[in-house]
Amino acid sequence: MKSKNRTLQLIVFIVLVLLSFAYLLPIYVMITTSLKSISEINTGSYLSISGNPQFNNYREVLYGSDQFRSHMMPRLINSMIISFSVTFLSAFFGGLGGYYLSRSRSTFTRVLFVLVGIALYLPYQAVIIPLVILMAKTRLALSYWGLIIAYLILNVPLASVLMGTFFLSVPRELEEAAEVDGASKIQTFFRVIIPISLPAYASVAIIVFTQVWNEFFLALSLSSPKTQTVQVVMAEAKGTTLVLYNLQMAAALISVSVPLIFFLFLGRYFIRGILAGALKG
Amino acid sequence: MKRYKRRQYSIAEIMVFLVPLLIFLVILYGTLFWTIYVSFTDWKTIASNYHFTGFKWYKFLVAQPRFWMDVRNNLKWLILGVVPTVVLSIFLAYLLELSPFPYVESYVRTLILYPVAMSFIVTGTIWSWMYEPNRGVFNTLLHSIGIKATLPFTTDPNTATYWLILIFIWQYLGFSVIIIQSSFRTAELQEMIEAATVDGASKLRILFSVVLPNIRSGLMVLVSLLLINSLKVFDIVYIVTFGGPGIRTDVLALNMWITTFQQHLISAGAGLGVIIFLMAFVLIIPYTIYALRKWFE
Repeated sequence: MKSKNRTLQLIVFIVLVLLSFAYLLPIYVMITTSLKSISEINTGSYLSISGNPQFNNYREVLYGSDQFRSHMMPRLINSMIISFSVTFLSAFFGGLGGYYLSRSRSTFTRVLFVLVGIALYLPYQAVIIPLVILMAKTRLALSYWGLIIAYLILNVPLASVLMGTFFLSVPRELEEAAEVDGASKIQTFFRVIIPISLPAYASVAIIVFTQVWNEFFLALSLSSPKTQTVQVVMAEAKGTTLVLYNLQMAAALISVSVPLIFFLFLGRYFIRGILAGALKG
Repeated sequence: MKRYKRRQYSIAEIMVFLVPLLIFLVILYGTLFWTIYVSFTDWKTIASNYHFTGFKWYKFLVAQPRFWMDVRNNLKWLILGVVPTVVLSIFLAYLLELSPFPYVESYVRTLILYPVAMSFIVTGTIWSWMYEPNRGVFNTLLHSIGIKATLPFTTDPNTATYWLILIFIWQYLGFSVIIIQSSFRTAELQEMIEAATVDGASKLRILFSVVLPNIRSGLMVLVSLLLINSLKVFDIVYIVTFGGPGIRTDVLALNMWITTFQQHLISAGAGLGVIIFLMAFVLIIPYTIYALRKWFE
């Protein structure tokens, strides 16, 4: 028995080393490269820590320079405005829709559920052309509303299913007690269900926020110069500053910092959200 | 005592709970059918043209070698993006269950899960730098351990797609492990594992004859989610290779974007969108049926 445990320990140890290498290396590379000067990169010390950390790189990426024109600051603000709006509205509407889906058992609801289920994983390629036409015709493409509405169309169904998964586990007795006391369903929802579902709202919010912040295809196709998001400007920077790896890495670090901070501090809500998406809420 | 009977929904309640979701669904399916309609018209410049032409642009698409290159590459993504990820995540999740060290689980979870917070654009930018053939991180590492070969990675036409898929596996491994782990953690399965252990079954034997048969639904959900995500892959290809070298790493989603927004062959782009949708629709059927059963059980 003992020798067997030792083999297991050895396997676990080897796997730990390999995983640590595979998952820490990209982060390490991103941080160290972002602090180097381009001449330092060109001398071939790709893996060492910079001898002379260039914090100026971050200022260059945020506010722009001659060699880095796609400055990030306005795009960070754009991404913030769009992501927070979509998160708030999706969680709100998703909560309402999810509650209906989790409480009604009619045939209509079953059909609706299937339609929502297909919408969850709909490839954006199948809706992008009409969305671009609509947003251009209504001139919404020029404001934040273009992207916000486009994201809502795709994220409200997602938020509904995620919230509904949580609501399914809320005991019915609570609502029945409130309804016996004469509360309407709307009052019950806002006064009884929402207060006890705040952790669920947090999970859904963090999933939707990450998804919207990181989304690229819609942002690329629908954003105007004024509403460009962080991901689009990242892609643009990579295309136009082919060899400026230090600035690319600084831009990557800045753009990933927002969702990464959420992940590090609210990790368990993240995991609950993922599991709700896998129908294990 | 008589059980309290639930009231039906009133008009006001339907307005509040149902209508917002319905509005978004109507727009969503409206745009989907609009895309399908556009794919049968003759819209080939920026100016709209809704003249019906039947399957003309579908025939145009399947006559192009590029389309078949995309289909082949998408198949590679579907198989190689999913199978290794699932196998690795089962192995890792089981290892974490057995792990004799304390704290290993929370460390590994954070370690491999952080990529879910990152975009493919960021991951792709970092990996492009690591893959850089002349000076990049991987070749530097290989040189430093004495291997003098310079690997071409994503610049090699024959293997470029595989290097892209590796990024996808890296990104989705943590996500997959979380889902598999939660399937392990049911009271019934834990009891069965205990019983098998008492009977003296080996750990490997338990994995194959007790664990795997009892996490079928979790596996099905995971496979569906991975399939749909690898079918939709766009960002990684766009940022790392933009379909190159030549069109060797092109996929349907990227072809759709280029056809629509660069070549302005709107009807052909819509046709590609419809094809991607149909593939996604087929892939998501098992998941939807399972979800429906579970939801209304």
